[in-house]
Amino acid sequence: MSTLTLRQEPPERLDLLNINPLSLGGLSEAEAAKLPVGTSRRGLTLGDCFTIRLDGSDTLTIEGGSSRLDRVGASLDGGTIRVEGDVGQRLGAGMAGGTLTVTGSAGPYSGSGASGGTITIEGDAGDHAGGAVYSAKAGLDGATLVIRGRAGDHLGDRMRRGMLLVGEAGAYAGARMIAGTIAATRVGDHPGYGMRRGTILAGATGALSPTFVETGTHDLVFLRLLARSLRALSPAHADLAAGALKRYSGDLATLSKGELWVAAG
Amino acid sequence: MMAAWVKGGATDADAAIEAAAHLFASAKVPVVTGLCADVGALRAAYGLAGVIGASLDPVAAPSLYAELGVLSRTGAMGTTPAEAVGRADLVVVVGNAPWDRPFLQDIAAAKPRRGRAAGSERTILSLGGPSNGQIRHVAYPVEPGGLAVSIAQLRAFAKGHLAGETAYADLARRLVAAHYGVVVYEPGEVGELGVEMLQGLVKDLNDVTRFFALPLADPFQGRALIQVAAWTTGQAPSTGFGRHVPEHDPWRFDGARQVREGEADAALWLSSLPSPRPDWLASLPSVAIVGEGSANATGDTAEIVIAVGVPGESTGGTLWNERRGTLTHSSAAGQPAALTAGAVLDAIRARITAKDSAAC
Repeated sequence: MSTLTLRQEPPERLDLLNINPLSLGGLSEAEAAKLPVGTSRRGLTLGDCFTIRLDGSDTLTIEGGSSRLDRVGASLDGGTIRVEGDVGQRLGAGMAGGTLTVTGSAGPYSGSGASGGTITIEGDAGDHAGGAVYSAKAGLDGATLVIRGRAGDHLGDRMRRGMLLVGEAGAYAGARMIAGTIAATRVGDHPGYGMRRGTILAGATGALSPTFVETGTHDLVFLRLLARSLRALSPAHADLAAGALKRYSGDLATLSKGELWVAAG
Repeated sequence: MMAAWVKGGATDADAAIEAAAHLFASAKVPVVTGLCADVGALRAAYGLAGVIGASLDPVAAPSLYAELGVLSRTGAMGTTPAEAVGRADLVVVVGNAPWDRPFLQDIAAAKPRRGRAAGSERTILSLGGPSNGQIRHVAYPVEPGGLAVSIAQLRAFAKGHLAGETAYADLARRLVAAHYGVVVYEPGEVGELGVEMLQGLVKDLNDVTRFFALPLADPFQGRALIQVAAWTTGQAPSTGFGRHVPEHDPWRFDGARQVREGEADAALWLSSLPSPRPDWLASLPSVAIVGEGSANATGDTAEIVIAVGVPGESTGGTLWNERRGTLTHSSAAGQPAALTAGAVLDAIRARITAKDSAAC
C-alpha cells in the first residue's frame, strides 16, 4: 500500500487530479515528489506537502486530510484511494472506476460527472454532492456515491445515472435530475425541483413544490428490488424502501416522469 | 483632484502605486474583486492578474452566472430591448428588481408598432413584483416557495399538467394568448434554477406563439466584463491565473470564500463605478481603486486607496449600454480627470514587471 502523509495544513488549495495509484505506479519516490500539486505562484509539488512512500500497489492511502485537497480521486479508473481525514471540492469528479473512501468530510461537487466506481464519504458532504459543476451537462453519471453524514443543498443536481445514498440532505435535492436514484433519510425543501426522470426516496421532506402531486400508495416490485439493492449499502435505507411509502409524481413543470417516494405516516 | 492614501495617510498617486506594486509583487494568492469599471480598466485588471497570479471575483457574478449557467447547458431564447418595445403585446415582469429600471418605463410608455401585434394594446403583468401604482399592470402573487417555485407552477399550468381556476391558470392563459410575449427579469434575483425554468417556459410557449426572455443586465458592468473575459481567456469571468494559465472555477475563486478560509493574502478592489464594498476588504492587505468623489474615496477604505476618474463622468470609457444592448463609449462630462483606473493598473503592473526584471 502506497502512502502519502500530509506534513501540515497546506498553505493553499492543492489539486490532486494527477495523484492516484496508476499515475504513481511507475514513479520512484523522488520522481513523485516533483509532481506539481500547487495552485498558486508558490509552485508547490507533492514532495513539498507530503511524505511519500510508494510500493507500486494499486492502493493509495492519504494520511492527514485537509479541506484544501481538491479533486482527490478525480478521473480515477481503477484501484483504491483512502483518505484518512477531510478533502476539498470535486472528490472523485469524472471518476470511471475504482474505490474512493474518505473518513472525514468532503467539500462541494463530490462525485460530479462520475460514471463508475464507488465513492464513500463517512462524514458530511458540501453543496452539490453528485451535482453538476458549472456548465457541465450532468452530475453523478453512473457511479455510486454514499454519504454517511449530511449533504448540503442541491444534492444530485442534474444527476444522470447511478445511486446516491445520503443520511440527510439540504434543499433542492435531486433538482433538475435527468435520471438515477437518490435515497435519503431526510431531504430539505423542494426536492426534485425541475426533475425530468429519476427516483428520490426519502424518509421525510421539507416543503414540497406544488408541481408534485400525490399518486397514492403502491406496492411495486420495483420497490422490493430497490430495497434489495440498498441493503448492501445501508440497511436503514433498505428498510425505508421496504416500508409503506407515498408516491409523488413530478416535476409537472417538466417531463413529469420523476417520482418522489416518501415514508407514509 | 486626484487623491491617494497609504495606511490612512494622504499621499500622491505615484507613492500609492509603488506601495501597491510592492504588496502584489510578494503576494502568493491575490484576489481582484469588484471589477465594476470601464473596458479599459477591466483589460488592465486582466493584465495585472496574469502577472501576479491573481483570481478574479466580480461583484456581478451572481447575476452573470445565473444566466450563463443556463445558457451554456440548455440554451436560451432571448430578445433585445428594442425588439421588445417594438413588438411585444404582453410583458411579464418577474420579481422586484426590474421595476427600478428605466427600461420598464420605456416599454410601458409605448405600444407595439411592428409585427403580429402592431397596433394592439400592450398588457403588463407582474409576477411577484411590488404593488406600486406607477405603471399600470396586473399583479400575480408569488408562491411561498419563492420565485423559482412560482415559475415552475406557472410552467406546469402552461403545459397543461396542472389545471384549475387559480391565479396561475389565468396567467398561463394570458401567456398562451399573446401574439408576441416578453418576460423581463433580473437573473441574480431569479437565481439559476428559476432562470432555467423560465427559459423552459419560454421554449414551451413557442410551440403555440412567439415568446422571448429579456434578462436585464446587472448594474455593475458585468456584461462588459463578460465580453472582456471571453475575448481575453475564452472563459467566464471567475478565473484564476495562479498556475499561469486561466482556470475557470466559480467556487474556488469566490473572493469572500477565499478570504473566509484564509487562502487569499492580498486583494485589489476595482470599483471606479459605484458598487458595494466587500465587507471583508479590511481583513487582509488590500488596494482599492475607487471613483473620485465616491464615499469610498477615503483613507480608511483599504490599506492603499487610489481615487481615479469615474467613467462616463470625469473620464471617458467604454461601458455596457443597456438600452442599446452593447458596449458604447461614454465621454467625460467636463474636464477629464488626470488618472484613470486602467492607467493605474497598468502602472502597478509595469512596476512589478520592472522589479521582476531587476531580480533576474
